[in-house]
Amino acid sequence: MVSKKEKVVEFKIRRFDPERNERYLSTYKVPTLMGMTILDALLYIKDNLDGTLTFRHSCRMGQCGSCGILVNGKPILACYTQVLQLGVGVLEIEPLPNLPVIKDLVVDFNSFFEKFVKIKPILIRAEEELRKPTEFVQTPNDLKKYWDESICVKCSLCYGSCPAAIDMEFLGPSSLTTNYRFIVDTRDDGLSERLKTASETIWLCTSCSSCTLSCPKEIDCATVLDNERGLIVEEGILVPRTAKDVLTSALKHHNPVRMSPAKRTEWSSGLEIKELPTTGKTDVLYFVGCLPSYDARNQEIAKSIAQIFRKIDVDFATLGNEEWCCGDHILRLGEKGLFEMLAEHNASLFKKYGFNRIVTISPHCYHTFKNDKPYTDIRLNVQHYTQFISEAFKNGRLRPVKAIKKKVTYHDPCFLGKRSGIYDEPREILKAIPGLELVEMGRSRENSFCCGGGAGRIWTEEATPENRPCVNRAKEALELGVEVIATACPFCVSTLEDAVKVLDAEDKIVVKDISELVKEAL
Amino acid sequence: MRYTLKVRWMETITHDIIIVGAGIAGLRAAIAAAEISNKIDVSILSKVHPIRSHSVCAQGGTAATLREGDSYNLHAWDTVKGSDFLADQNVAEFFVKQAPKEVITLEHWGCPWSRTPDGKINQRPFGGHSFPRACFAADMTGLHEMHTLYGRAVMQENITFYNEWFATSIIIQNNISKGLTAIELKTGEMHALRAKAIIMATGGCERIYAFTTFSHTATGDGMTIAYRAGVPLKDMEFIQFHPTGLVPSGVLITEGARGEGGYLINADGERFMKRYAPEKMELAPRDIIARAETTEIQEGRGLDGPYGPYIALDLRHLGEEKIKERLPLIHDVAIKLGGVNPVEEPIPIKPAAHYSMGGIHANIRTETPASGLYAAGEGACLSIHGANRLGTNSTSDCLVFGFVAGEEAAKYALSKDSRELPQDKILAEERRVFDQVLGSEGDERVSVLRDEMRRIMNDKVWIFRREDELQSALKEIRQLKKRFKSVKIEDEGRSFNTGLVAALQLDFTLDLAEVTIISALARTESRGAHSRLDYPKRDDENWLKHTLAYHTKEGPRLEYIPVTITKWPPSARAY
Repeated sequence: MVSKKEKVVEFKIRRFDPERNERYLSTYKVPTLMGMTILDALLYIKDNLDGTLTFRHSCRMGQCGSCGILVNGKPILACYTQVLQLGVGVLEIEPLPNLPVIKDLVVDFNSFFEKFVKIKPILIRAEEELRKPTEFVQTPNDLKKYWDESICVKCSLCYGSCPAAIDMEFLGPSSLTTNYRFIVDTRDDGLSERLKTASETIWLCTSCSSCTLSCPKEIDCATVLDNERGLIVEEGILVPRTAKDVLTSALKHHNPVRMSPAKRTEWSSGLEIKELPTTGKTDVLYFVGCLPSYDARNQEIAKSIAQIFRKIDVDFATLGNEEWCCGDHILRLGEKGLFEMLAEHNASLFKKYGFNRIVTISPHCYHTFKNDKPYTDIRLNVQHYTQFISEAFKNGRLRPVKAIKKKVTYHDPCFLGKRSGIYDEPREILKAIPGLELVEMGRSRENSFCCGGGAGRIWTEEATPENRPCVNRAKEALELGVEVIATACPFCVSTLEDAVKVLDAEDKIVVKDISELVKEAL
Repeated sequence: MRYTLKVRWMETITHDIIIVGAGIAGLRAAIAAAEISNKIDVSILSKVHPIRSHSVCAQGGTAATLREGDSYNLHAWDTVKGSDFLADQNVAEFFVKQAPKEVITLEHWGCPWSRTPDGKINQRPFGGHSFPRACFAADMTGLHEMHTLYGRAVMQENITFYNEWFATSIIIQNNISKGLTAIELKTGEMHALRAKAIIMATGGCERIYAFTTFSHTATGDGMTIAYRAGVPLKDMEFIQFHPTGLVPSGVLITEGARGEGGYLINADGERFMKRYAPEKMELAPRDIIARAETTEIQEGRGLDGPYGPYIALDLRHLGEEKIKERLPLIHDVAIKLGGVNPVEEPIPIKPAAHYSMGGIHANIRTETPASGLYAAGEGACLSIHGANRLGTNSTSDCLVFGFVAGEEAAKYALSKDSRELPQDKILAEERRVFDQVLGSEGDERVSVLRDEMRRIMNDKVWIFRREDELQSALKEIRQLKKRFKSVKIEDEGRSFNTGLVAALQLDFTLDLAEVTIISALARTESRGAHSRLDYPKRDDENWLKHTLAYHTKEGPRLEYIPVTITKWPPSARAY
């Protein structure tokens, strides 16, 4: 039950006056009771402090979808969020991104709703069947298959938080989820038509999971889109050439980058790194992953981490040329069968060799080992390397001594942050480096903005620069005035470095993996 | 600050049919009209985007006779008895026969109705219905009906949407409706729109009360718009109070919670309904339960809470699985807005203003007294619900009569020539909105007057009424109407001026509050939801009739018309 204890909360609201074409900030102090929602507070401001404040609202029970806004960077429904439960004294409030602002917190939803028309939000059935006077039979179990996806209120929180939606062509998480809801509905006969519509832009989705995290109805849109791509892949013909190339390469070469499996360990030539096929057992299984194995830029990361291991005498070994792609991007692209083939292979090696834990470079390898069958069938002790280093810092085995006197920002990789909840370790590492000044971007942690590399998009990217999430993100870092974008994912390193080139900002900012900064500081 | 005239009557927008309001009734009407012929040019105008309409808040179900054991006769009888015999029985009989078709139509368009184990549309019990005939989509029936209808409507090429256009007036000349004026909120411009037929589907007005289940935007604008244009409002004294409004917000907790087996408990831990409706208990009609709860609270048997005494709605014995499967929204809402998990604790509730049985006077074909003007949904009064509506009959009503209105308006429009708008009326409306309201130079705040109106209605025109309080309320509301003339709108901009919208809505609701009080004062009996402490009995001899309120400069003028009785002469009403 609600209580009557009062606390004053400050509301900083980013506003827009369309008549003067002016952006400005208004600050209000609101006496808040337990049980009071953000909407109640906005209404309090409008009624008592400033009648010009403009926002939409209607049902005040999370059903109409009118009152979506950003609160401290997070998209929420104002009516469905209690002020005091946020546990902070200052709330920064902005209109939802990815939609034009009409006035203050009111955005123009037109482009968002046009996308629902494209996916045909109604059963597709033959006319004569629709004229039948009795209901179509559908069992409770069949209903369950799409019920969770059917309760979308079209509030646009997912769309506002979606990195792919900066490209206006993208249908967006809620439309594609609604499309899937009809695909799965046993009464719908529009499968091929629906898959065709989805296939036109669904590859822009990076599986970053922002949609899932922001949905007030807890719809797992990110997984829905994975599944929808899965159906498109089953159909075959609708898969774009770029994605097909990735899948073909993974099938043929066991990596998505069309490199020879025999060259997987070339990065380590001369380093005399132990390989499990030879040694049979080790303490740490160093799972290098495809980009660090084959991509020149990312090979530096693989080497850095190996050197860090050496520095503290870790007994580690790789899988050598027996390592295959972990399959994460393949799974997200929808090729479940191929993923299983790759995963079964790696899993069989994990069973075969003796080791105490796996340390991965890529958050993608980390995430799939932790979350996807068949990996989850084996009890794996998996760490992302940032967890490993942070642990070594804490127990004193590893100590950064050389100063790096730079302003650095940290870009959260989605599969490390949003999908795995690892936000603190990378920051702890950076803060431990002497001289390094860590500056946060506006969009960070749970509200971080994806680099645009996930779900295979790193290889299928065809968007113009302004529609590329990495360019959008690099701009944010540039505007912050930092010298280094630190991150902890090979895909983020590649996309962001590319963005810095596109922005012609190589003399202003560099992209570094955290492992590289650590190595420098040792 | 005065505004230059901005009406675009030189470039009037023209459609065959304009529907005002895009909730269940409005969308259903638009689809029905558009399906008559692809040559018909239909438009639907709404002050919110269609799926932001209050209909998405409907939870428990939609009544329809679908299965063996039920019958049209039984549904009609339940409806008539529930109405305390004020329903027009011919309308009720027609209504129940049309409802099943609408439920099936929605099913065919994709509505995810909850299912029986053998895959048929499932139905649950509801108050006052003597058969479990509430078709439901968990406890989000309205949401799903709305999204289904919206999905169907946007696929129809001959429907034009005017989303976030606020209607301010309709124009009727020589008893023929000709068009309307509306503000496009994004630009702030006023437009004139002409049509052969207009359908008002603007919903109820429970925002005249402080404690209500209603959306902030549900202010009954269309009722006042029609009323001011000369169309009478019918049976406005009959306001339904829902027994389970969540404390403190008033958010609806569906009657489906009791349909699934929930208990109402007082401070003594007693299921007190056994003293008021021993047979139906928690599934008696809403008027009876709302009165019972109020009596319990007044006699000191309410539970104590920081927002005053309340009643407990106990679902715990249903178990977590059933609560989450059948009542997922209630589960979520109780936690997020009420601070209680219904699996572990009872939900704090009390009666909340919930439904207007009254509305724009219309007949069985949804025709109003003005030629070419139709009304459907909660904003209309046909009259099916009489003095008290049964739960789940409202969404059925919106579907059935939304459909009828669409078809009737389309047939009418096909047979008529286009109409010219009288420019003096448009200019007069523009002066009212921009000069008198937006340009008003007073010092009264809209929010203060609005809250004052809601407090008066809550204190004096609530569940139990008596003459002295109603008189006092009338006096106070009339003072507010005077004070409204000196209102000051802080926002002086044109684009998306929500201050102006709030002022116009307040102006509309003040008229509705006045009509409600005047109608309630006149009706010296107790019937259905209208309970007069000073006239505690139903009086069929004098009051088996509908109230019609006509707008005059001096205030509402009342007339009465008889109730249509076909099969069921009034009898005692016990549950």
